[in-house]
Amino acid sequence: MKRSAMIPTGEATIGPFFPPRYVDAGANDLTMFAGRKAKGEAIEIRGSVIQEDGKALENLVVEIWQADALGIFRHPADPRHAQADPDFFGWGRAATDSTGSYRFRTIRPGAAEGRAPHINFMVMFSGLMRILKTTLFFEEGVDVVLSAVPASRRELLIAKKQGPNSYRFDIQLCGDGETPFFDD
Amino acid sequence: MKTLIEPRDERTQPTRIVPGYPQTPWRNPRQPLVKRSPTLSELTGPLEVAKRVRLLGGDIAGHGDKQAIGQLIHLKVRVLDEDGAPVGGAVVEVWQANGAGRYIHPNDDDHAPPDPNFYGAARLVTDETGMFELRTVKPGAYPVPTRDGWWRPPHVHFSLFGKVWLSRLVTQMYFPGEPLNAQDRILNAVPDAAARESLIARYLPPTGDPYNALVFEHQIVLRGRTATPAQS
Repeated sequence: MKRSAMIPTGEATIGPFFPPRYVDAGANDLTMFAGRKAKGEAIEIRGSVIQEDGKALENLVVEIWQADALGIFRHPADPRHAQADPDFFGWGRAATDSTGSYRFRTIRPGAAEGRAPHINFMVMFSGLMRILKTTLFFEEGVDVVLSAVPASRRELLIAKKQGPNSYRFDIQLCGDGETPFFDD
Repeated sequence: MKTLIEPRDERTQPTRIVPGYPQTPWRNPRQPLVKRSPTLSELTGPLEVAKRVRLLGGDIAGHGDKQAIGQLIHLKVRVLDEDGAPVGGAVVEVWQANGAGRYIHPNDDDHAPPDPNFYGAARLVTDETGMFELRTVKPGAYPVPTRDGWWRPPHVHFSLFGKVWLSRLVTQMYFPGEPLNAQDRILNAVPDAAARESLIARYLPPTGDPYNALVFEHQIVLRGRTATPAQS
């Protein structure tokens, strides 16, 4: 492997004092961008983020990144990006509330090149020296990232359907039912 | 343009469990992290984040009778990728304590006074040379409520959006010559000495700074390099 010229800067925890104003009003609603409605089926994803003792954590920062309804990423590395929905930004941020819950409104992603429909998640919090990364799936399916997870733990990455357009995706940071996180 | 992300050299990154940092064992996975080969999904990411969030200017030290109390500093930070190429157009979120070591945040206790003229947050975009600049006051040190003598040295928090999802970075910058640096549990969670050193800003001798402030410069390297045509 070729060595890179520069060593990436060391990560650090976001700490307990991340400014609340950085969780902008509407940053958890990906169905709208610049006042226009994204194409596709609007869905809601809710969940709690839980530490080892079962306590749901407040003011934890969750970010997501996903493809649009046709499975296209708003990014030049996607060969199809010229066809990406101009009204779908694909990124959002939420903070957990006093009950430890986060909520996103977004568009059900289409299947991107060689992947099952999915949403990338990041978790940042006091006590997390590194950003934790995981991926939400809507159902078991053929997917290179899902199949990298040990078979017995894959169901932990499948969101639980709560209603026709509503899903639950709890994130257990540590301990029983620990969410699989990726080493990258 | 395709971005390549290589596996990390773990010695340049902090350990996840930090002795004396009590929250770390409760919140970090105990199962092995799952190895995956990045796909298009992780090798794309939000660009033009400034279209989605509200920016806050980089002059946060105040002016006139609204000037914040503390040592006025001018921070010049360059953001590069692993090729050493500037990362322009990147949104950077900055937050820090005031000159007395107090954050404007409900989680901070009252060990030190808030400064009515200092909120301590800036949200900026790097220019085409990867630079962003801050006019601020040097943050104070503060005690961590572990009650065993851990004080955080003066530091500034940064959150950066790079070119792809896997270049997202949250980090902290320290100041040179601070005695608390040697015992800080977060800075010293990075095993490699050179990698720790790269988290400490460089002091520049006074040379007539436009802000009449002490100048520090710093460099942040985001993960990823540009694939050569053969690798694309």
